[in-house]
Amino acid sequence: MSTERNEILARVRAALAPLPRRAPLPEWDHELIQLRAAQPPGDTWAQFFQRFAAVNGTPLKSGAELVALLEQGGWRRGYCDPALWPALEGFFPAAFQVETTFDRARVDDYDFGITAAVGAVAETGTLILSDRGTSSRLAALAPWVHVAVVRPDQIHSDLSAALAALPDDPNIVWVTGPSKTADVEGILIEGVHGPGVQAALLLG
Amino acid sequence: MASSSQLPRLPLGPERRVQLMATCLCDAFYDDVAKATVEVLEHAGVTVDFPEGQTCCGQPAFNGGDWPSSRKVVRHTVKTFAGETPVLVPSGSCAAMLRHGALLEFEHEADLPAVQHLARKTWELADYLVNGLGLTRWPGRFEGKVAFHRNCHNRGTASEAASLALLQSIEGLTVVPFGEAEQCCGFGGTFSVSFPHLSSSMGHLKLDHIRAVKPDYLVSGDMSCLMHMGGLAEKDGQPVQIRHLAQILRDALVNVGHRA
Amino acid sequence: MATQLIDRFAADLPPDKRASVYQSTKATHEKRTKLLFDHFADPNHLRATAGEIKQHVIENLDTYLPIVEAKLAANGAKVHWAATAESACATVLGIMKARGATKMVKAKTMVSEEIGLAEYLGKHGIEALETDLGEFIVQIDHDHPSHIVRPIIHKNRREIARSFEREGLGDYNDDPGTITRRARKFLRHKYLAADVGLTGANFVSVESGRIVLVTNEGNSRFSLAAPKVHIALVGIEKLVPRDRDLGVLLNLLARSATAQQLTVYTEFISGPRAAGQPDGPEEMHVVFVDNGRTEVLASECREILRCIRCGACLNVCPIYRQASGHAYRSVYPGPVGAVLSPLLAGKQFPELADLPKASSLCGACQEVCPVNIPIPDLLLRLRARGKAEGAPRAAVASPPMGAWALLASQPAAWKAALLGGRLLNVLPTKFIPVPALRAWEEKRTLPAWQGGRFRQWMRERRKS
Ligand code: SF4
Repeated sequence: MSTERNEILARVRAALAPLPRRAPLPEWDHELIQLRAAQPPGDTWAQFFQRFAAVNGTPLKSGAELVALLEQGGWRRGYCDPALWPALEGFFPAAFQVETTFDRARVDDYDFGITAAVGAVAETGTLILSDRGTSSRLAALAPWVHVAVVRPDQIHSDLSAALAALPDDPNIVWVTGPSKTADVEGILIEGVHGPGVQAALLLG
Repeated sequence: MASSSQLPRLPLGPERRVQLMATCLCDAFYDDVAKATVEVLEHAGVTVDFPEGQTCCGQPAFNGGDWPSSRKVVRHTVKTFAGETPVLVPSGSCAAMLRHGALLEFEHEADLPAVQHLARKTWELADYLVNGLGLTRWPGRFEGKVAFHRNCHNRGTASEAASLALLQSIEGLTVVPFGEAEQCCGFGGTFSVSFPHLSSSMGHLKLDHIRAVKPDYLVSGDMSCLMHMGGLAEKDGQPVQIRHLAQILRDALVNVGHRA
Repeated sequence: MATQLIDRFAADLPPDKRASVYQSTKATHEKRTKLLFDHFADPNHLRATAGEIKQHVIENLDTYLPIVEAKLAANGAKVHWAATAESACATVLGIMKARGATKMVKAKTMVSEEIGLAEYLGKHGIEALETDLGEFIVQIDHDHPSHIVRPIIHKNRREIARSFEREGLGDYNDDPGTITRRARKFLRHKYLAADVGLTGANFVSVESGRIVLVTNEGNSRFSLAAPKVHIALVGIEKLVPRDRDLGVLLNLLARSATAQQLTVYTEFISGPRAAGQPDGPEEMHVVFVDNGRTEVLASECREILRCIRCGACLNVCPIYRQASGHAYRSVYPGPVGAVLSPLLAGKQFPELADLPKASSLCGACQEVCPVNIPIPDLLLRLRARGKAEGAPRAAVASPPMGAWALLASQPAAWKAALLGGRLLNVLPTKFIPVPALRAWEEKRTLPAWQGGRFRQWMRERRKS
């Protein structure tokens, strides 16, 4: 154990020793963070897509819609998680160039990346990515378009539920819309370092 | 200081009686505000005592960081306002000083209990009328548009809602909302002289918002804010009519022939 | 009468800068308030609870720090401890040297600003590149951030366009979209070439050892996707007891900071990359930084350690809106900075003892603070400290109170002074003997002196 560690901890103990009592951890109920306009349970996916659109996410309901989006944007070169490709391949016309390994040396060559999400949060329109569930961190981040493929049984109603169900995984990312900044004069610009188009494809 | 934590008040007791703390500003500049306070209280059936030995709540030195000097004044105030009779002050900031500030500077002093006792029996005027005496409306009549400045020391206290409730209940009176109401007027005690640029810029911003809604009167529960804003406006050559809440309440009575 | 440094800074601020700081802080503040009150039945109860959670944490750091250390180690992270800024910098450098690393990409972290990391590494031949757009612009301009959430709130697009042109990032173009696109293009190759990604931590869950990072741009994700080593600099106060408590804090942070329901990226990091994942760090280091925090913990201002760096107090603060961030001469500006900066300064406290005075004590900061820090009380405590220590900067333009206290504790003298004050009504301003009154009269008129009148009226009323 380093001496600095012990020095810091000793100072922490000395600082706290004179306190007559320590502040207790407050009891708080889930209702405290319940949104006023909470949706009745049931149609969580409808709520998700509504919130997702509100944060400028692009909702997709089928492989055909996905291909239409990519064609419309002129995004023809991309990456797809090898585990997802068999289910999607049929939708892609020959003009598309889709790879199932992401070559970081050619990072600028990928217009889109298709990877798996491990969940979604209805209340906030959030997609949940995990390290074990994502075939390549870079493929989910570097291309202009990211498509997260999510399954119908993977929805959480709100943040509390999603926090209670955090998977055992070293890198969980909640994604709520495209990458953005308002650093320059407070003007909103999307697609800073991450995707400028964040899509969610509900499959299965 | 916004009153972040305040001790619960002592019960008022059956007799309607208060010790008036007129505040140093009314003592020196605004005698009519203190008079109006007395008249308003008496109209509400309250007997008003005026301890002659009173000076100031101790806030100037407290805010300035000179706590030993401030404690000297607070000790004097504790002595002057002895006993169980509630202390009533027509100023949100003096009330906050006695209800909260003084407790901070006496945290490590042996006579903290005496200061706590004063804190627990001190009331700001509107809070006393509404939450102490249970008034829900104010009688009389007052024609005019009023801009109500939310004095910062009423943040987090019952005084703001109480003041608005009283004003809005007066026949003929309209309270006009204005922009950025949550912002400070820039007075801030010694801040007004140590930071003259900031203080006056803040005041001008506030005045711009107020002038934009063209009120007949600018009203507040604190003469310090009003002295600052009124003084700035007059220096600009565009004076505004300033009134303390107590003056409006008193005038509402006078206007319908009540002998206050 | 001389005036305070911050007052002079504000007076000298170019009007266009003041206007842009004012407009954007006001807009963010108003959006934040609307969102909180639209979304929650009782946002003030929510703030109070968040404050209690954080107060509990800081008062139990002696218990929690060893637990989280063990948890992090079990998750596969290496834990380091740094008592001072120098030692924190040296620890980071040591980690890099051990790997033969020479290039770092940095996500936005206030602790790294506080310890001067980028400069330190630069001196040791290491490129430490800021990746947050605002911080990147600050870095190429050799400037300082002026806001803890919006580092370049003091710059306009034309200045930024000129900087990009100067740095060879394209011809002059002040379109914010183009500026952003150019930074994107330039920085992504920097990420890929970097050996180390450095982040801070918004929260660390003691229960799970997860480090929580929130960003909008995605730069911290990139810093954890391309490089092989992740270093997280974490102030020792950043802990949260349980994952569940993050629900309270995350809900408040995004709304308070940027008026969003949730920040775009919320990352939960608990170790190096998973086996089989091609990208991401092989090593994760967590550096717990003290750098004066234990001293703050020992002081009567320890509540400031609850701070989650949302910037809401800056946005609502009338002084910050007029003076902007550089006026505070320190890494943390605004109300939080006026408390935290002098405290973290340690022995240099007197240098910054004027900061707590730059406040009208209006309490707007406490009213918005998501962890309900009683900032005005803390400012007052620091004023008392500045006065007790005789810090000259605190005393500038501050009227002395000794004579006043003497007067105000002697009723006979007080009454005499009330009557004597009538003199003010006849003295021309320039002869007024009290500097504070002269200063008052420079900006405002003084009402007529009525000293003693009320008392006389009261006496007569009692007689009748
Ligand atoms: S003091 Fe409160 S309002 Fe200010 S930055 Fe910290 S958490 Fe936010």
